[in-house]
Amino acid sequence: MSAMEFAKEIDLRNLPCPMPVVKISKGIKEVAVGQVVKAVTTDPGALTDFPAWAKTSGHQILETEEAGGEVSFFIKRLK
Amino acid sequence: MEASVRDELLRLFGSKLTREMVLNLETCSRCGLCTPACHAYASLSQPRYAPAYRAEVVRRVYKRHFTAQGRLLPALGEAKPLTDAALEELREAAYSCTGCRRCMVCCPFGVDTQQILSIAKLLLVGAQAEPEILAMLADVSIAKGENIDALKAGFLEGVKRLEAKVVERWRVQAGATPIPTEVEGADMLYVALAGAHSIIPAAAVFNAAGENWSLSFFEAVNFGAFVGDPAKTRRILDRIVHEARRLGVKEVCICECGTAVRVAKQLSGGQPFRVVSLTEVHARYLREGRIRVKKLPGSFTYHDPCQIARNGGVYDEPRLILGSIVEDFREMSPDPRYNWCCGGGGGLVAMGEETLDFRMRSSRVKADQMRESGADVVVTACENCHTQLDNINTHYGLGKDVKFLSSLLAEALTDR
Amino acid sequence: MATLTYIVLVPMTYLAVGVFAAGTLWRLAGLLRRPRLGLPLAVYPTQKPGWAYALADALLLPTVLRHNPVLWVALALFHLGLLALVLGHLELVADIPPLQAVPHAIFLGKGAVGLAMLLCLLYFFSRRLVSPTKDLSVPEDYLLLALFFLTVLFGSQMDWARNWYDYSTMSVNDYRAYLWSLVTLRPSIASVDGTGHTFMLVAHVLCADLLLMAFPFTKLMHAIFTFALNRIRRG
Repeated sequence: MSAMEFAKEIDLRNLPCPMPVVKISKGIKEVAVGQVVKAVTTDPGALTDFPAWAKTSGHQILETEEAGGEVSFFIKRLK
Repeated sequence: MEASVRDELLRLFGSKLTREMVLNLETCSRCGLCTPACHAYASLSQPRYAPAYRAEVVRRVYKRHFTAQGRLLPALGEAKPLTDAALEELREAAYSCTGCRRCMVCCPFGVDTQQILSIAKLLLVGAQAEPEILAMLADVSIAKGENIDALKAGFLEGVKRLEAKVVERWRVQAGATPIPTEVEGADMLYVALAGAHSIIPAAAVFNAAGENWSLSFFEAVNFGAFVGDPAKTRRILDRIVHEARRLGVKEVCICECGTAVRVAKQLSGGQPFRVVSLTEVHARYLREGRIRVKKLPGSFTYHDPCQIARNGGVYDEPRLILGSIVEDFREMSPDPRYNWCCGGGGGLVAMGEETLDFRMRSSRVKADQMRESGADVVVTACENCHTQLDNINTHYGLGKDVKFLSSLLAEALTDR
Repeated sequence: MATLTYIVLVPMTYLAVGVFAAGTLWRLAGLLRRPRLGLPLAVYPTQKPGWAYALADALLLPTVLRHNPVLWVALALFHLGLLALVLGHLELVADIPPLQAVPHAIFLGKGAVGLAMLLCLLYFFSRRLVSPTKDLSVPEDYLLLALFFLTVLFGSQMDWARNWYDYSTMSVNDYRAYLWSLVTLRPSIASVDGTGHTFMLVAHVLCADLLLMAFPFTKLMHAIFTFALNRIRRG
């Protein structure tokens, strides 16, 4: 388990296109600026989509963690 | 609306006025034959969803600013100047149309409502009034293209993890590299979506057929086309074109995504490779005897994705595939040319919950069609259609399974 | 009244023909000046040769026949009637021997063509009174229907008079003298002025002139554009 603290966890496993990006962009607005969201995904595309999304929307990916075929992103809301 | 903004928007409008577009704008006689052809009108009986009505919303502005009649006698054609209110009407018209072009099959002239509404979408982009989600998704695609070198490593790790799943289910077919990437001189570049479901079954079939293929770093879907921004559409497509040219592939195979197939086929231009849909490739494997399949139990029907069938010509291939892998196939529409749109195209599904209520209300006729097919499983070959059909299935309590054609084919693979 | 008759029958008719011809050419030139989009915009499946299917689509309206057979019958009657009347008017200007290969009276149908067209026009009008066609209609649609109705009504009235109630105050030769004088640019209304049917003729020509002038600037251009647009749809 990661020691990273987060305010909200979003399940993005096995979603149709383009729901992972749509849901993470909505989900990040549900925490306060400065708080962290944990997003869990199984899709390889998400591994490039999320960093690209973070770049365009101005949020920060603090850490990426892999466990049992799933990848968790810890994303800090910056604005 | 400020005069300078309006001038700029009218300049954008003018840039869309090609010969084809002027014919679309000038030929309608408002006979109304297209009205019942639209699934939204057929489901909701509201005139504002009649294709000619939506087109008229654009046409009124066109008349007022670009025609002699509209300038001299605006009342004759109810010509309207471009205002904020007109922009709101354009938004309603553009984003309640899925671009399925079923209305074109009923029109005596062949007026292309989707083309006309592409003007509305461009004006909304120009006025920065396009749906935020679609614009955001298009920007993410572009950012990915610009930063691909930094992002590659993560993607490759993800692909490695998927390989285990391919091997687990299709041990014999998997081969040494179940999901190859960056294969220079590959015969085929496969462009998938973000989801594992668009990669794993496709990989199984490619490997079974002994295809010399390579997985693209990019997703096939083009959000630039959904939002209606020609510049972004181009940039998103160019990522794939450049990758295909760099690897020197002969074919670019687009996954089960209707918009991606249509955009790539139409806009790639003269390239050293040709663009095909996954469905066409799968049918080819079966025709050439490159894969062996068994028959699956159950009753099946097929939903023709509009962008692949009516607007792309792929009708026979899915039927050939289903004919090979199922015993009980039932046509959804007596004539596939008149198949109802799923109601989720044109970016509506991509807008998610925001459009769910409209998508469900406007697809009553689709739900009836699915129910009346009598099949247990509804098969389709488009990501958007799949999501929408799945939503319809739940909303209308149809109790069916909704499956991708490629997944079904992978299920039917046999090594004997 | 005599002045008004002259204005409608001579200068206004010249003007109408001029506006019709120049306006239509101007519109076509404007269209051809535009760049082509050049993308495949066909509806599939396509059939070869595309131009032959496009021509059939434009002339036979198979989509209308399939989706609204009643409308198809009315459209077929109306457009064929229009063709018969245009030919009738050409024969009214001068003898056209090839057309008389099958001998017939000038204006086919002994007045039935005009009557059929009027009924079709009433049907088109009634369609526009109910939703959803009503919601699509604009003033131009009603105005054109009204102009067609009046043109055919006044024109038919002259035809019916000769055919049905034996009121032949003006003969084919009288109309021909007037029309021929226009064609040869020596306009004279002597043969058609001051008779019991002069009013009908003036009303007919007035409405027809308005229609001719409206042609290039209204949806009537579909008569030409339909060929090009159907060609695009057929790929």
